[in-house]
Amino acid sequence: MFTTKIITQKHIKARIPLERFCSTTCLRFSLMVLLFFCFSLQTKAQTPNDAIMMDKRDACVLLAYTYGTFDQYWEGGNQRENQTIATVERQTILGMAAIGITKKLDFYVGLPYVKTKSYEPNGGYFAGANGLQDVLVGLKYQLINAQSSVGTFSILPSATFSTPVSKYLSDYQPYSLGLGTTEIASRLMANYKLDKGLYTTIGAAYLWRGYTEAERDYYYNNGSFYTNTMDVPSAWNFEALIGSWLFQNKLRLELNYSAIRSLSGDDIRAYNAPQPTNKVEMDRVGAFAQYYFNPQGGFGIVASYNTVFRGRNAPKMTSLNLGITYQFGY
Amino acid sequence: MKMKRNLQYILIAVCFLMVTACEKDLSSYIAYDSYTFSGVDATGGSWKPVLISSGSEIQIDAPSDVNSSAYAEEIANVKLAIKSATESQLENVKYWTNNPINRWNEIALELIAKYNLIPGPNADGTYTLPNPSNPDGPPAFPFAHPPYAVRALAYLSVAQFDALISAWHYKYLYNRTAPYKKDSEIEFAYKDNDIPAYPSDAAVLANVSKEILSAMFPLEKAYLEQRAQEHLESILLAGGNVNSDIEAGKKIGSYVAAKALSRAATDGMKSAQTPKPVSDSIKAKAMERFGWAWENKELPARPVGLTPLFGKVKMWNVANVEDTRPIPPPGINSEELKKDIEVLKDYAANVTTERRRIANFWQDGLGTYTPAGHWNRFAKEFIIQYAMNPLRSARTYAYLNMAMMDGGISCWDAKYYYHYPRPINLIPGFKTIAGTPNFPSYTSGHSVFSSAGAEILAYVFPNEATKVRDWAKEAAISRVYGGIHWTFDATVGTQQGIDVANYTLTVARNDGAQ
Repeated sequence: MFTTKIITQKHIKARIPLERFCSTTCLRFSLMVLLFFCFSLQTKAQTPNDAIMMDKRDACVLLAYTYGTFDQYWEGGNQRENQTIATVERQTILGMAAIGITKKLDFYVGLPYVKTKSYEPNGGYFAGANGLQDVLVGLKYQLINAQSSVGTFSILPSATFSTPVSKYLSDYQPYSLGLGTTEIASRLMANYKLDKGLYTTIGAAYLWRGYTEAERDYYYNNGSFYTNTMDVPSAWNFEALIGSWLFQNKLRLELNYSAIRSLSGDDIRAYNAPQPTNKVEMDRVGAFAQYYFNPQGGFGIVASYNTVFRGRNAPKMTSLNLGITYQFGY
Repeated sequence: MKMKRNLQYILIAVCFLMVTACEKDLSSYIAYDSYTFSGVDATGGSWKPVLISSGSEIQIDAPSDVNSSAYAEEIANVKLAIKSATESQLENVKYWTNNPINRWNEIALELIAKYNLIPGPNADGTYTLPNPSNPDGPPAFPFAHPPYAVRALAYLSVAQFDALISAWHYKYLYNRTAPYKKDSEIEFAYKDNDIPAYPSDAAVLANVSKEILSAMFPLEKAYLEQRAQEHLESILLAGGNVNSDIEAGKKIGSYVAAKALSRAATDGMKSAQTPKPVSDSIKAKAMERFGWAWENKELPARPVGLTPLFGKVKMWNVANVEDTRPIPPPGINSEELKKDIEVLKDYAANVTTERRRIANFWQDGLGTYTPAGHWNRFAKEFIIQYAMNPLRSARTYAYLNMAMMDGGISCWDAKYYYHYPRPINLIPGFKTIAGTPNFPSYTSGHSVFSSAGAEILAYVFPNEATKVRDWAKEAAISRVYGGIHWTFDATVGTQQGIDVANYTLTVARNDGAQ
């Protein structure tokens, strides 16, 4: 079985922690931001959701670009297309940094810029939107780290907070930049990694979401609401992944699955626009790769592809993500 | 180790905060309590109604004397009912208040929002229209678009007004007092007033509203029946009426509802949504007259615009719709249009926070209570603020909705007579922040509905005149900010609404109310 053991800084310094953190965390974050578009789906701030810790006094920055599109969505449970919006495109540029505060505690900060529009031709002639979305800050803590002769088991809780930084209109779906609400995500992850490189992680997070302000003071959500405040449903997020480090920890490949389940909310009504109050469900699969030129630090590249294969009040979004990472001591 | 424990505490604290973070109570109806009426309008029974000849048209028999044994039995039943009332029944009493017309108006707005969904295309690119003879659809009947909505509200409000005039007539004819005044053991749930109890005005409203709305929203019949039963039950429990008050009120309500619905059956709304050949010929006529025509740009294109013949629907207070038809819009090659194209482009390129807010605040688009609903909401808020009694409230809603429906008819006449293109029809590559509706541009429906509504509210609530007229102007320009209307659609539409409202104001000024 495992024996709990405090890993010294030297232990981790060499390779795994930094690089992996950088890739996984930043990338996963950007994936979430980009891929789960804002059709209610946003999970923008779902982050520190990997099993790897930064080293103390190490930092990593990420710049990532994501290109996502969808031409079908689920109206309630009904998968459909809609030529009013045709194919909706969502581009995101994400800047993010992760900093190792202690060897067991990491701090994150991220800010995405989002741009949306419909392909031509479309029947709606709606203007897209663009601007800064939500700033995210988070902490991740290594609660358990137990090693055996073949691998390491770890448990990592994390908490993140995100909130809009611009006055974007969340009630402008499917083009809105985000849900326009504060989100507090508390996550628990369990990871098991074989020394040979194979690893798996499962995680669950509760995403508490607050309220968003519309610019109208009446809306219908299975009944009248005489207010400009909209309740954005809180949600569960589940994740499972399997991956492996290859080529002396320079390359990592991963397959992942993630799900969102809103705890309340209404369905998109027939041939009507979505709104932030919708009950969103989504299941997504993806593949992810990262490459480090030098495992000791410096530049790395990350790439991923994701697609939503099942949903409710959600876009059938497919996204491609490319990013560069840079890690350094401070 | 200590550090570690502290971190754990922090994490636990964060989790706790998340779970207990404050939840807001979002209002699904306006919160107001029973209030003291600013007046009782004792002569209201002699006001001139809209559909019935006078308040005495329907025969309501004299009630039993308050000293009779029959009445004593009724009083005993009221006491018994109050004694055995459940918590939720008492909450209903509080909800309905002593001016329940506002609740029925809210129910109407909610049904409008529920049914204001435009039918989408079928898989083969065709569109199926809602069909009143097969209301289940799909698509469900009705599509409560702005003309449908304003018409539903007009029939509702006019019927409520006429029925309450009749109720007032008999109230002051028979002068029967309320049970709580006769028997001190009965506690009145609402603020005291001196309005006679027979017939019950609340029961009038429960029946007339239920019946009008059931005809307008046939799939909601069971729901409306349930709301009406809940309302009727609350009347007895409030201690202000005995059962015979309620029965007499129901009778008036049903009588006037039938009268209103027979007018509705033949007002021309049935043929407002035309078949394609009729729609094509309307368009061809405009092309011939003016050299332009609006086109639907949706994908797949809708073959017919929204209610091309709504302009032919029978008006309430205007004899001939063409009397209110506005001047022609600028020519398609005019300097005025060229300038306005630049204005629209500028708004689109520079969406300010304020213009966006205005465009969205007044949008009242698909899935909402429509512009007419928005003005009913304002009316409701003023009615409560100015402590109007039910009859005064009904009068306010009736003139408001008649003027707005007439405004809508006049606007639709202009829309399909001039058949003027929308900004997306004339500006290549143009994008909007509001949804472009499925009907011609000139004049703007929001502008006409809003200024017609504002004129009525300015007349009824003179202290609010400046405010409501400013709102109407803002509602009008909001459509230009949204990118879906020309400036002249808004300005001419505003004037058109004022003109049309004047016809209703003439009637209002001569109905006998002070």
